Amino acid sequence: MSAKTEASEALEAEGSIVEDTATAKNQEVPANAVNVAPKKKEPPPESPASIRLRQYVIASFWAIIILVGLPIWWRTTAIYRAKLPLDQMMDWADGRACRPVFPLRISIEADALQDHEAQHLLRTTQHALDDLNEFSAHHLRLQLSQPANASVETTGLSAGAGDEEVALTIRLLPGTTTQADLQAYSPILDIQYTPNQVPSSSSSASSLANYIANTLRGLFAEEQAMIAYLLSTSSAPPERSPKALSPDVAESLARWTTRSLKYSRTYHLTFSLFTPAATPSSWDIEAALEEYMKPLLASFSEISNFTIDTQVQLYATPGVSGNVLKKEDLSGFINAAEWPLSPSIGGAPTVNFILYVGDMEVEGGGKSWLIPQWGGVVIQSDISDLRPAMLIFSNQLMSLLGAPEAGSLPLRLMTLVRVRSAGLLLKASGTMGSLARLTLALPSISIPRSVAEGVYTTIEHLRKACDGLGGKEGLENARIAEEAAEKAFFEKSMVGQVYFPDEHKVAVYLPLLGPVGVPLVMGIVKEFKAWRKRRRESR
Amino acid sequence: MNIDRRKATLFGAAAAVRLLLFTGFPGLPDLLTARVEISTPVTSFKRLQEGLYLYNHNVSPYDGGVYHQAPLLLPLFALLPSSATYPAFTYLLYIIVDLLSANALMQIADSGEAGSSKLYTSPRKDKKWSSFAIAAAFLFNPFTIATCIGRPTSVFTTCAILHAISKAVAGNSFTSMFALSFAAYLSMYPILLFPPLALLCFDRKRPMKGQESVYNFVFGNAMAVAGSMYSLLHMSSLITGSWEFLLSTYGVQLLLPDLTPNVGLWWYFFIEMFDSFRNFFLGVFWIHLSSYVAGLTIRLRRQPLFVIVTLLGIFAIFKPYPSISDTSLFLAVLPLYRHVLPLMRYTFLASSTILYATLLGPAFYYLWIYAGSGNANFFYAITLVWSLGLSVLVADALFAVLRDEWEVERPEMKGKEIRQI
Repeated sequence: MSAKTEASEALEAEGSIVEDTATAKNQEVPANAVNVAPKKKEPPPESPASIRLRQYVIASFWAIIILVGLPIWWRTTAIYRAKLPLDQMMDWADGRACRPVFPLRISIEADALQDHEAQHLLRTTQHALDDLNEFSAHHLRLQLSQPANASVETTGLSAGAGDEEVALTIRLLPGTTTQADLQAYSPILDIQYTPNQVPSSSSSASSLANYIANTLRGLFAEEQAMIAYLLSTSSAPPERSPKALSPDVAESLARWTTRSLKYSRTYHLTFSLFTPAATPSSWDIEAALEEYMKPLLASFSEISNFTIDTQVQLYATPGVSGNVLKKEDLSGFINAAEWPLSPSIGGAPTVNFILYVGDMEVEGGGKSWLIPQWGGVVIQSDISDLRPAMLIFSNQLMSLLGAPEAGSLPLRLMTLVRVRSAGLLLKASGTMGSLARLTLALPSISIPRSVAEGVYTTIEHLRKACDGLGGKEGLENARIAEEAAEKAFFEKSMVGQVYFPDEHKVAVYLPLLGPVGVPLVMGIVKEFKAWRKRRRESR
Repeated sequence: MNIDRRKATLFGAAAAVRLLLFTGFPGLPDLLTARVEISTPVTSFKRLQEGLYLYNHNVSPYDGGVYHQAPLLLPLFALLPSSATYPAFTYLLYIIVDLLSANALMQIADSGEAGSSKLYTSPRKDKKWSSFAIAAAFLFNPFTIATCIGRPTSVFTTCAILHAISKAVAGNSFTSMFALSFAAYLSMYPILLFPPLALLCFDRKRPMKGQESVYNFVFGNAMAVAGSMYSLLHMSSLITGSWEFLLSTYGVQLLLPDLTPNVGLWWYFFIEMFDSFRNFFLGVFWIHLSSYVAGLTIRLRRQPLFVIVTLLGIFAIFKPYPSISDTSLFLAVLPLYRHVLPLMRYTFLASSTILYATLLGPAFYYLWIYAGSGNANFFYAITLVWSLGLSVLVADALFAVLRDEWEVERPEMKGKEIRQI
């Protein structure tokens, strides 16, 4: 930039006066002006034309700076801050905007009972349930299933809920003993009762009602704990979070959260066969997957999709040696350096399942283990029958996806939907809160329009998710909300100036604009002084 | 006639030297084409070939993001036989363009505008070089020759600017304005030459019956420039089929997306600049480049040709993608002011700095890019020295001309030592 200063100095200075000093004393001082001689000689007065010329030159530079430079400075350095609905965002984060409630509809089929008996049984059971339940967000609601002859007035508790999903159907069957039997592949609970347990219409409690209530509570205890745990770890207001969970329950739930993968619409499953020698070089994985894995994956289809690939790796040595694996060895078993296990490429997270051919054994007798958020390992010496390995893999997959451990498959899946939606909802709300706090705390960061759009998308889908909590739509909306929230929060251009305090701007502006500015400012100051002097003299 | 024979000899010799270099050293054109000092992203012959290939295959030449030059160059080069198979035609085209530039330069020199303009006559005006010498200095300047061999399209801009000036001193304001529009169309920055060029036309126009005011005259010429610019741009959009070329040609000059090193000051600065300030400093650099136009035009109203000379020097230093082609243009017009050279104070410093940078620049570039023993700062440092040398030269010439004017005002100070206050 040296040339700029030089050239403009040249312009302004040359434009003014070029003054002679060396010759002044010798020639122009008159001989009689002895006492004047030491005084500095003044340059001859400038012509008005040259003064005006200089003023024009200075004005032309300043005109460009003011008319073009300032608008450009204003336009290019203004920080764009899109308006965010901060109040709404904070409402979501604090749990004021949405009260996560999971109304579970449980339908009772009691064909063997009289209508009024059934009504009465339902009412007492509901009372018993309500007495047992201390966690309002997770609420079981009973209703009578509507046989063809049932009229609307029987459904006092379930009015308007006809199209809602029924989480569980209880079939009351008369029998000889009292026992509950959960069907494995459909959400039906068969309860047999002895005839004397049917409550009379006058009694306010009955053993059958209590039995049903306790059974239900047992069935949903794990889910309740999970949701309670999620709420307690979120920033929801304390009065809404349930009473503290017992330490061992909390511990197992913490393990559950560390174990399960982040929710995604699609997962990629990799089944790998590793063998330490040249054989076996093939396995009948296709048929095994078809038989044991596909049905499970199909039942997941409403929650997540799966893509699958398989591989065989010969001469694969594990990361640890020895025939008995100690617990601490397990983390090193996967030979990450040599085994070609791809990390998540593309959008979908990868779940790895490894079948290792060998006769090793984990200390204590196990032959398989699960690696949190990563996959599972099975050691098997004979791979002619893949059934045991596949069953273990299925179980591991369920755990990795975050399904509860107890219950029948349909119930576990439905629980998974509810727990996942709750988790996503809380996470997205928390992200909204963080974004709002960030916006308030750092007034100097820019907020691009895409962030504002992301926030509005998030809030819209959060609202939908909150309204449809518990169902598949709720899950989908929660997922969209969470994705949009993360994208808005991690917008790259937003954080660019976080570590750019105002003092640094001086360091950016000054080295370039300083040298350019000095001659410009000096020019105008000098010109102003000269103008004042001229005016004083002329007066 | 004697003059004509001398001129023919000069042009023949210049063409012969170029032809010899083209044919005697077949590797030389491609070597020079690849040099960053000669080929910039907006003038490179290699990129022109790429654009030409796409154009000949009916693909938009700007699709690859490589070609940033004006669309009208494409049909011109498409007419020539391919430079890969018959390079001689391309060589001849570039030689002819150089000779045309020299011819225009001779016309400018012959007009005597440098020594005595309409409003000002230098007391030293008789001490000048002949147009022959000035053209020879241009044609045999190593920078000009290297530019010609490297075949960047900036030679067309050079030729157009020189023709604009030569037509202006001849008083043909509309031809001059058309040549200026063509130069601006090719490289955009020459549009900044409009104010001094319009004044030069005004000063040199033949006296007519009705005395036209300078404002009307400038306005008329501005209309002429706008009209010819519009027709050129419209033709371009017809050729390429859309207006997208504007962003790929002038947008690239304005926004500097391609940070290939060159002899200028922009590339390194914008490599280092924080992203959030990039747009602001692009504005600052462009304002800086254009802010000289008004000041110089006002101050040197009496010598508009010298305003153009100074601006050409400033462009060679501060434009976004400068090359030695711009320097060769400045060095071509500077000898017109032979009479003020004795007033310059730092000729030795400036010329030795420029020579120093010329010799060390390629060496430092080699150290950085090929040998890997240097880094970008090596080359950037030498471009700083290069720019320093050029700015000393520009500022010194400006000083000399101002002193020349001042001595007319105060003849008693002639030849005396002076000091700025």
